[in-house]
Amino acid sequence: MALINKHLRWLLPLLAFIIWCLQAGYLFYYEGLGLNVALIDSSVNMGILALAIWGMLLVVNAYPTRVGVTLYALLIGTFFAIAGGFTTWMILKLIFKNPVHHYLDWLAYSMPVRYFSNWLICGWIATYSAIVKEAETIEKKFLKQNDLTNLHREAELYKLRQQLQPHFLYNSLNSISALTMIEPSKAQDMIGKLSDFLRRSVTRDGQERILLTEELEYIEAYLSIESVRFGDRLKIVYNKSFDPKAEIPPFILQPVMENAIKFGLYGKTGEVTISVDISQKDSMLIVNVTNPYDKDNQPSRGTGFGLEGIKRRLYLLFTRTDLLDVSKTDTEFTTTLSIPQTYA
Amino acid sequence: MHKVIIIDDEPLARQLVRAFLQQHTGFEIAAECGDGFDGFKAIQEHAPDLIFLDVQMPKLNGFEMLELLDEKPSVIFTTAFDEYAMKAFEANAVDYLLKPIAKERFDKAITKWQASVASQQKQSIEQLQVSNVYEGYQHRIVVKDNGLIRIIPADDIEFVEANDDYIKIVTKDGSYLKKSTLSQVEQSLNPQHFVRVHRSYIIPISQLVRIEPYEKESHIALLQCGAKIPVSKSGMTKLKTTLGW
Repeated sequence: MALINKHLRWLLPLLAFIIWCLQAGYLFYYEGLGLNVALIDSSVNMGILALAIWGMLLVVNAYPTRVGVTLYALLIGTFFAIAGGFTTWMILKLIFKNPVHHYLDWLAYSMPVRYFSNWLICGWIATYSAIVKEAETIEKKFLKQNDLTNLHREAELYKLRQQLQPHFLYNSLNSISALTMIEPSKAQDMIGKLSDFLRRSVTRDGQERILLTEELEYIEAYLSIESVRFGDRLKIVYNKSFDPKAEIPPFILQPVMENAIKFGLYGKTGEVTISVDISQKDSMLIVNVTNPYDKDNQPSRGTGFGLEGIKRRLYLLFTRTDLLDVSKTDTEFTTTLSIPQTYA
Repeated sequence: MHKVIIIDDEPLARQLVRAFLQQHTGFEIAAECGDGFDGFKAIQEHAPDLIFLDVQMPKLNGFEMLELLDEKPSVIFTTAFDEYAMKAFEANAVDYLLKPIAKERFDKAITKWQASVASQQKQSIEQLQVSNVYEGYQHRIVVKDNGLIRIIPADDIEFVEANDDYIKIVTKDGSYLKKSTLSQVEQSLNPQHFVRVHRSYIIPISQLVRIEPYEKESHIALLQCGAKIPVSKSGMTKLKTTLGW
């Protein structure tokens, strides 16, 4: 930030010049001092005052404080007004040491007025720039807050999209439609599964953390629907060893599974095995999801978007960027989630 | 009898189409396929009159499969894509059916097709604007190479050159010809990564090494692969905007 606020940049030198003229004129005409004495007096006075203002602005800008802004500025203004007045007095006394003792008497007599006018000027400038500075800080804070709110909103939107998954829903309904003609009992079964899945999606909304076992049930509901859609092509192998109280934020693991299915099942033909490995290390829950993958044959739709969203969400929740990791070979794609466990 | 092929990666979705179709007379289902690659082979083998085609499928998606066919049959799309996206290629297909497919809607599509056949109106799907429909830009280009189907990842492209009715896609493993226009390719690739620098050339930004002035008002772009590509005046402007100069 500029030392002198831009509102004051032109005003200050102008003000200084006017005061200098007025003072010199006043001293010459009304106080009857010699022209050179009047000029020297007003120049010294103005020079010192300018220095004091400069120093004061440095201090105001360099030391933001928790104390009330105006009070702080007034204190600083007072200090510099006194320091400036005193310095002016000393210098003028030094310059007019011998010849005009009449002037020195007058100088001593005029000091209170000088202190007071210095104090008025310094106090006003200090207060003004401190208030402007404070306003800028508040504005910055506000903008930052805005950014954060936007991020949250995006996460919310993403969550919503995740939840609705229109394509998944439409495709499932299409399968049910087919089943009503071919195998009505299976259609009924599938409707039950779909309702179960949707009910779980809705009730999970708004919860910050849920039990991992609950999330796995939810995923199970999702997978059972996919199995109906794709026949017996989909196989899931679990390897679970975790604390039954382990928790996970919702909409984190499910999109990972969805991704695995998108790349594994939608991207390949034939039987597909997805393995889910859950373990716990100290206070960290580690989930590994591995799916087969064909590097030349990725479904081009929405590549990587899901994972990017999960990463952002994890960052918003834990302010860490190292909680999602992916690795791939030519045939396998592994997603690793690390979820910090905080027990009350 | 009209020959029909159903291409969809979900068995139940195929069965639904089959069941709906069996209620109409005069159709014979020649094949059912689970991915675009099988679909391509089956179409070449059976030369069907009509196909039911899903969009999202393994190996080759529906659009890519169509692109590869020289003789395109009439197409009815069956997909869960929303109507908004489907509008884009409405004109190019006989019809599009949104999943879940309603019986009534299906019958309407069949009637529509029968009418077009009766009036000898050949449905053309030559100019499929893939990019506009298929949620964003293509990450790959599919070409036929000596009877083989080759999938070229967009990252592997060194440059694309117009060549009469064909385009030549140059990669480090060789170059491939495809019956298409440079404008179509330009539209399907991400403009953040690919720039049409000349009437006859598209280059990936990542390949760019430097640009040298050449004659008045034109430039030459030197690529990582060593190729020198002419850059026209308007191409230069596009490059500048993309690179943010």
